[in-house]
Amino acid sequence: MAFTSVQFVVFLFLCATVYFLTPKRYRWVTLFIANYIFYFFAGPRYLIYLLATTITIYCGARQLGKMSSKNKADFAAVKLSLDKEEKKAWKANFTKKKRAVLIPTLLFNLGILSVLKYSGFVGSNLNALFARFSLDITMPAPSFLLPLGISFYTFQSLAYLIDVYREKFEPERNLAKFALFISFFPQIVQGPIGRFSDLAEQLYRPNGFSYERVKFGVQLILWGVFKKLVIADRAKVIVDTIFAYPETFGGTYVAVGALVYCVQLYGDFSGGIDIATGAAQVLGIQLEKNFERPYLATSIPDFWRRWHITLGAWFRDYVFYPLSLSKFFMKVGRKGRKLFGNYIGKLLPVLIPQFIVFFLIGIWHGAEWKYIAFGFYNGTLIVLGILFDQPLKKLIEKCQIRTECFSWHLFQVLRTLVLIALGKIITRAPGVGASVYMTQSMVRNWDGDILCNGGLLKLGLDTQDLWVLLLSSLVLLTISLLQESGIHIREALAKQNLLFRWIIYLAAIFSLILFGVYGLNYNASDFIYRGF
Amino acid sequence: METLLKILEELRPDVDFQENKALIDSGELDSFDIVSLVGELSEAFEIEIGAEDIIPENFNSVEAMMALVTKLQED
Repeated sequence: MAFTSVQFVVFLFLCATVYFLTPKRYRWVTLFIANYIFYFFAGPRYLIYLLATTITIYCGARQLGKMSSKNKADFAAVKLSLDKEEKKAWKANFTKKKRAVLIPTLLFNLGILSVLKYSGFVGSNLNALFARFSLDITMPAPSFLLPLGISFYTFQSLAYLIDVYREKFEPERNLAKFALFISFFPQIVQGPIGRFSDLAEQLYRPNGFSYERVKFGVQLILWGVFKKLVIADRAKVIVDTIFAYPETFGGTYVAVGALVYCVQLYGDFSGGIDIATGAAQVLGIQLEKNFERPYLATSIPDFWRRWHITLGAWFRDYVFYPLSLSKFFMKVGRKGRKLFGNYIGKLLPVLIPQFIVFFLIGIWHGAEWKYIAFGFYNGTLIVLGILFDQPLKKLIEKCQIRTECFSWHLFQVLRTLVLIALGKIITRAPGVGASVYMTQSMVRNWDGDILCNGGLLKLGLDTQDLWVLLLSSLVLLTISLLQESGIHIREALAKQNLLFRWIIYLAAIFSLILFGVYGLNYNASDFIYRGF
Repeated sequence: METLLKILEELRPDVDFQENKALIDSGELDSFDIVSLVGELSEAFEIEIGAEDIIPENFNSVEAMMALVTKLQED
């Protein structure tokens, strides 16, 4: 059930109607049932994976919760009689016991994800390696269809388990309520990845009907559909053409392809997130923010703080910090200081885990070498950015370049956009070799004339569609700039006169009807991140 | 408190640690600052700060950081 389908609109309408008509005490049950109906539509056989994760994480967390409660009571009884070293030993012993529950549960769930997502990739690469060394070994390289949202619900549930392990909160006792948290239908498809401490209470409480909130939710859904159907699916035509024929469309076309792919990916992913957030808002639930105008970022780290925020935060809290603050990396830092001096030594426990995080973010996107290259590219940019931060600041000072002005800010935004677009070539090209070829071609065969001599009309869109894409992207940019300057669009619109408001609403609805990429022979393309 | 302030001022001389009470929430300190800071605090106060302690409430202000240090020293 795609977010842009009529079925989804009907499903959301029915779900919201039944939810608000259900007695308050049982509203969470309505949501729970709705989630499983939604997931059932995605493919009944995938329910087994969702259930396996739900049950194992529930049991693991409950066990950890019981252990923590018992430990607290036991420790309180003997605390006064223990000296500092004994307290430390007690803590270490308890951590060991907890890890005996945590690690198998983590491995089981990461195992499901890894087998389904990476076994084909690992198998085929091993086979290629064996063949190279003339070894007569063949590994199975199965290709599985991924269950809907598996990366997203697995990460969400692992975060919950680790938080219970860290004793941030008590585990949920009710299995059905926990299952509701893992499977909330608007966000299970492509995020945002929710945290138990923010989301659970909103799901469990009986949300009342609010006209204002439903209106805001529907507006956000329409805005998401606009980004997806008017912008992303139109941009897709150009991107697909250029990247399918890299030998025909070299030079400037590659730059056009990379830039338009930036637009497509943002329209597609953030559009999907807007629909999810809007649908949740209709039901009285506020999902976490996943985007904050990423293409207005002034540096690569800034970009990653604005793009897919919940995934970045997940890796920061559950991979980066545990690695950086581990005894091993603390030791690496101390040794690094002795060997390379204070500056580099201090940076090592940050740089290496950061690199590992980007490697993982790369393979999170897919089991292909190009995604590993993408992670490597971003990791390198971040590490270089940190290493050259101080020397560059000194250089800027020496050259007396003004940094507190619009032109410098614009330069930073454009520089970041170029680096991001180059990274997009890696992920969109058919392979790493093709992305290198395309980038070389862009530099060597640059021909700006294609932008004016009708060259863009060879990319699958006619003049009218190109204008629609350009103007709708400008609308997106204008809205982004307004939001960046602190204006809340929906709130500002709500303050306008009735006539003006309805002119805007009708213009939005008609633009969707007239310019959305659909029709009798056209199926709205799948959301890109749905495949991750 | 003086040791803590000295560490913070060496780490980020551009930040007003006395006034800013939302160091994390406002984005003033990022994850790199936090890792460097944790390394310094661990050495200076002989404590172990784990990933579970890295929550905004523990690092939003100097007072919150001091409270965390005191708590970990007592544990």
